[in-house]
Amino acid sequence: MRDYLLQQVRCLDPVSGQDAVLDIWVAAGRIEAMAPQLSPPSGVTVIPAAGRILGPGLVDLYSHSSEPGYESRETIASLLAAAQGGGFTRIHLLPDMAPPLDRPAGLADWPRRLGHECPIQVGFWGALTQNLAGEQMAELADLRQAGVVGFTDGRPLPHLGLVRRLLEYVKPWGIPVALWPWESRLAGVGVAREGAIALALGLPEVPASTETAALAALLEVIASVDTAVHLLRISTARSVELLRQARNSGVPVTASTPWFHLLLSTTDLGSLHPHLRVTPPLGTPEDREALIAGITAGWVDAVAVDHTPYTYEEKTVPFGVAPSGMVGYGLVLPLLWERLVTPGSWEARTLWKALSTRPAACLGQAPPQLIPGSRAEWVLFDPDLPWDVTPQTLCSQAINTPWLHQSCRGRVVALSSIDGSYRSLEQPGASC
Amino acid sequence: MVRAEEDTLTHLWQRRHLLSLADFQPWEYDTVLQVAASFEAVLSRRTKKVPALQGKVVAVLFFESSTRTRGSFELAAKRLSADTLNFSAGTSSLTKGETILDTAKTLVAMGTDLMVIRHQQAGVPDLIAEEMDRSHTGVGVLNAGDGQHAHPTQALLDLFTMCTVLDPEAPRLEVLQGKKVAIVGDVRHSRVARSNLHSLLAAGAEVHLAGPPTLVPEGFTELGAQVHWSLEPALRDADFVMALRLQQERMAGHFIPSLREYHQQFGITRERLALCKPAVRLLHPGPTNRGVELTSDVMDDPHLSLVSRQVTSGVAVRMAVLYLLAGGASERPAVMR
Repeated sequence: MRDYLLQQVRCLDPVSGQDAVLDIWVAAGRIEAMAPQLSPPSGVTVIPAAGRILGPGLVDLYSHSSEPGYESRETIASLLAAAQGGGFTRIHLLPDMAPPLDRPAGLADWPRRLGHECPIQVGFWGALTQNLAGEQMAELADLRQAGVVGFTDGRPLPHLGLVRRLLEYVKPWGIPVALWPWESRLAGVGVAREGAIALALGLPEVPASTETAALAALLEVIASVDTAVHLLRISTARSVELLRQARNSGVPVTASTPWFHLLLSTTDLGSLHPHLRVTPPLGTPEDREALIAGITAGWVDAVAVDHTPYTYEEKTVPFGVAPSGMVGYGLVLPLLWERLVTPGSWEARTLWKALSTRPAACLGQAPPQLIPGSRAEWVLFDPDLPWDVTPQTLCSQAINTPWLHQSCRGRVVALSSIDGSYRSLEQPGASC
Repeated sequence: MVRAEEDTLTHLWQRRHLLSLADFQPWEYDTVLQVAASFEAVLSRRTKKVPALQGKVVAVLFFESSTRTRGSFELAAKRLSADTLNFSAGTSSLTKGETILDTAKTLVAMGTDLMVIRHQQAGVPDLIAEEMDRSHTGVGVLNAGDGQHAHPTQALLDLFTMCTVLDPEAPRLEVLQGKKVAIVGDVRHSRVARSNLHSLLAAGAEVHLAGPPTLVPEGFTELGAQVHWSLEPALRDADFVMALRLQQERMAGHFIPSLREYHQQFGITRERLALCKPAVRLLHPGPTNRGVELTSDVMDDPHLSLVSRQVTSGVAVRMAVLYLLAGGASERPAVMR
């Protein structure tokens, strides 16, 4: 269905600043008209949507695909279903599949894997170094021509000499490069953020300087080479401050934080549940507050999903040895809405900016927009719909999340397909 | 011992798992101390066995090697007439791709009533207890040491040992009120110190930690302890001194330069103990590194050292905990009444 009229829906558009209840008419996959009231043209399906929210489709900066290589964690079909269920119209996958995406041949097989009817836009980060080993550069020009959206290893590079040469090499292209500030030797065997809680729980500690010392050093190199860089997985208050200073001095950086750092902190670690093991580790409540404020102020641009599936048996191990990461697609929008927008910490548009407009900008892409004439790329969200987090409702093969078996409020009920058509997730079997 | 009061407290016992002492209530400490005192009396008799847990199965799952704690739990379970089931990592199915929860479920299927778990990683007993509750097995989980997190029965037996020194007739929490306890050494890596911190603070004791900043981070002040980076202020007028084991691998982790320098700075010697109260007593959770944490001279002095008493008390305290967690209050042995 490519012609439809959504009636009396709350339209949020961070680019134009719109936040109003409108009728919105989509014709042939494009937004034809938006007005407080439109008379439905004949032959157009009318969809009542009072009480629901229509925003630009969500854009995920980086997540892990388990296919190829780790299909027991999650197949690409499962990942696509999970992303759609969460309202994502564009996702971007890290190169750490097996084999890693470090040469053009790695991209060649993807059209077949995604199929002809892939409903969402899938982009790929190419590796910076061969085999993600942090030693020799990957053939970057070749990868760029093959169509990667940008370059990252998705893991820390071992030394600044390599960082400098990489940034110099890619400078002429203006393509996104993403680096993770993380000094492994400061982290040591640590698994939890340094502080009284980690100390009380007896968890080996990760000092905040693991991130901030690496960030400060990276910012110096970025400033000197002057190649734009996106900084992955920002998690500390001090990093937000360093980013503020850097951006005020004109250093060409953007930054993102994984969504769960906005919801969880060291105070949630008491259960020592392996699902809470993430890297960088959960910060202090002060870090969490600083990240929330940093996104409002724009020092941190975007919220990333960093969807990281693991099998039950991989995650059913002690906290300290559990692999890091959690799945997120189906939970990001409902939980951030419920915990940040409903209580008033964020305006609804701030959330959409962080999940849609700004991630697109970090990638140098035109953002999805709700204005007449633009391609229909939207998500329809019902903020009041209650649901239980189960393997079925997550639409994902992987269920490694601390919210499993909990109740949640707010759910994506529909989103546009890649051709702008209306795709309902409400009918049984529509999404997963 | 006041029997009537003990009965009342025992009947209030609700706790099914003992995972850490973080939320342990003063009356729970007193209950453990009182029941342990009864069992210690049993252990000094000719017939050392009571039928309290007859027919119950206590599984002892040790994923980390141990001699004294494991032996102490086994003996405690046997003295209570429970059947014991032994499981250690080397002989387990864990090497065959089974998860820790699968192992626990297997033991439940064999009719286990209580699981005693030791693991080198923090949180394993919590994870198993959560699964036991989620699947409504009714099985109790007892933490026998998890990583650097908690070792609640060690702290309870230390508490029992100290309280018994102060009042052999009626060991109870309040006798430690205002006493100064110095814990010396590798506090950072010590689950024993963490659990003792809970029990000693609950008793109203002053807890002084001493060691180099790499082993005694300042953050412990936020947990209610006083932190000293030299030995003297911690030892001055102390009533009890607890030395912790220093593991050899701490040098490789850049925590200390050498055992020699550590001993020079923080080793417990007779000369240094002169700073403490005259009646000071010395504890160590074992196994000790003689000549590192403390000298053989003080360790072997029966007027100073409580190390052997800690081991003896350990069996009675573990009997008490097993008995309470097994819901023993409703089936109290005649000998205890």
